[in-house]
Amino acid sequence: MVRCDDRPPYLILYRVIELKRLTKRYGDTLAVDDLSFNVEPGHVTGFLGPNGAGKSTTMRLILGLDSPTSGEALVNGRRYTSLSRPMREVGALLDASAVHGGRSAYNHLLCLARTNDISATRVSEVLQQVGLAGVARKRVGGFSLGMKQRLGIAAALLGDPGTLMFDEPVNGLDPDGVRWIRDLMRSLAKQGRTVLLSSHLMSEMALTAERIIIVGRGKLITEATVAELTERYPSLEDAYLALTASSVEYGAAR
Amino acid sequence: MSVLASEWLKVRTVRSSYLALGLSLGGILLGIAVAWAAVGMYDSTTPERQAHASIADLEEVVLIVPQLCMGVLGVLTITSEYTTGLIRTSLAIVPRRWPVLAGKSAIVGLLGLVTGPLVVFGTYFAARLMIGDRFRGSYTTPLLDKLPTLVTSSLSVVVFALLGLGLGATLRSTAGAITILVGLVYVIPIIVGNLPEPWSERLGSVQIGALPREITGDDLTHSVYGSLLPPVAAAIVLIAYAVLPLLAGAWLMRRRDA
Repeated sequence: MVRCDDRPPYLILYRVIELKRLTKRYGDTLAVDDLSFNVEPGHVTGFLGPNGAGKSTTMRLILGLDSPTSGEALVNGRRYTSLSRPMREVGALLDASAVHGGRSAYNHLLCLARTNDISATRVSEVLQQVGLAGVARKRVGGFSLGMKQRLGIAAALLGDPGTLMFDEPVNGLDPDGVRWIRDLMRSLAKQGRTVLLSSHLMSEMALTAERIIIVGRGKLITEATVAELTERYPSLEDAYLALTASSVEYGAAR
Repeated sequence: MSVLASEWLKVRTVRSSYLALGLSLGGILLGIAVAWAAVGMYDSTTPERQAHASIADLEEVVLIVPQLCMGVLGVLTITSEYTTGLIRTSLAIVPRRWPVLAGKSAIVGLLGLVTGPLVVFGTYFAARLMIGDRFRGSYTTPLLDKLPTLVTSSLSVVVFALLGLGLGATLRSTAGAITILVGLVYVIPIIVGNLPEPWSERLGSVQIGALPREITGDDLTHSVYGSLLPPVAAAIVLIAYAVLPLLAGAWLMRRRDA
């Protein structure tokens, strides 16, 4: 099993995301349809699927932002909504542009940190870690999408959580930033954390993730290692396109 | 407590808060300007006309300024999170959700509690000082007699701030919440004032603008408002204006997908 320097192994075993027959219906659209899978610690798990496949909805369901129609999502064996200081267990980046443009990067993070009793020192630390220390006092409204992605990642890291979820964190990043995210994701996983990463960049995913979960129309299509997929298909991209060919559907729920 | 600290920081770190506070306090300047103009006119007219001159209570005239500004601040405190999408983060990191709205209520309520008295008492004392015994001594009534009206008017600013927040939490839309807020102050009283009796007086008595003066037992016969409610009932209705939208907002916030 996975080793981690600073935490005993038994903790690591529990640090997982479990979906049990998770279902979410908006009106007559099934955004997530009887979805069950586990995300394990120690490696990056890639979360793939066409637009509208239900990836973002699944992440919102895990975070308790939307309530499931049936089934459940557990983090470390518990429902997310039962956590009293959730930032210390789960960090998430859903939408990097979801920030108040008038607030500085530092103040934005401090507003979040306060709710979970996270110190201002930690805010400076994560700003340093994502490379935004130099613009920490600048208003977020002037940030590029790439800088906002870094800010969103900083927010996810604030509570030093064992579980991390990133929805399309690579969008808007320059090649340098893409490389940085890849290294960051891998190092976070290597520390024994559980990392769920969604992206449409297949070549990038092939380099970053070890396991892949593919969904289409809210249903699980495949759960496999990158190695297994690239053995059966010429590349991860070919695997993805072949497996999702029948699930591409535009205009589905969020 | 940690959520409260976060909400306080949120309000402190955006410009719109300072704009709303600044404009609210601008109400005092408006009052002073009106008093200055009135004194000028009074002093340049004949003693016969001075004997018939009267002036409205300036602190009541300018009260609408802090009321609307703090109402809008209440709205923006929550709707800015919905329009930017920040609310998802705010609710994800506080899964019980209601503390977020409770924290915001405490902060905007407190800001209303500071600006309301500042503007009302500030305008009153400035006007009292400038007008002196002009206008048949309407500004020479003993302060103690005036106190209930001044305090009630001040507190109405708190109601507006909380009402704005409640509307914002319920509607999740800046434009929608501000429209209703302004409608409650300007549009609905005019419609109600033109209804046939007894409905005009009945509905006029529960208008938000009528309630503070019903609490102090003022005469409202020459206004669009009615004054059917006894002080205690008026106070309860006024508090309901602040509390009911907030409760609706809290309930919806808990139930709705973010």
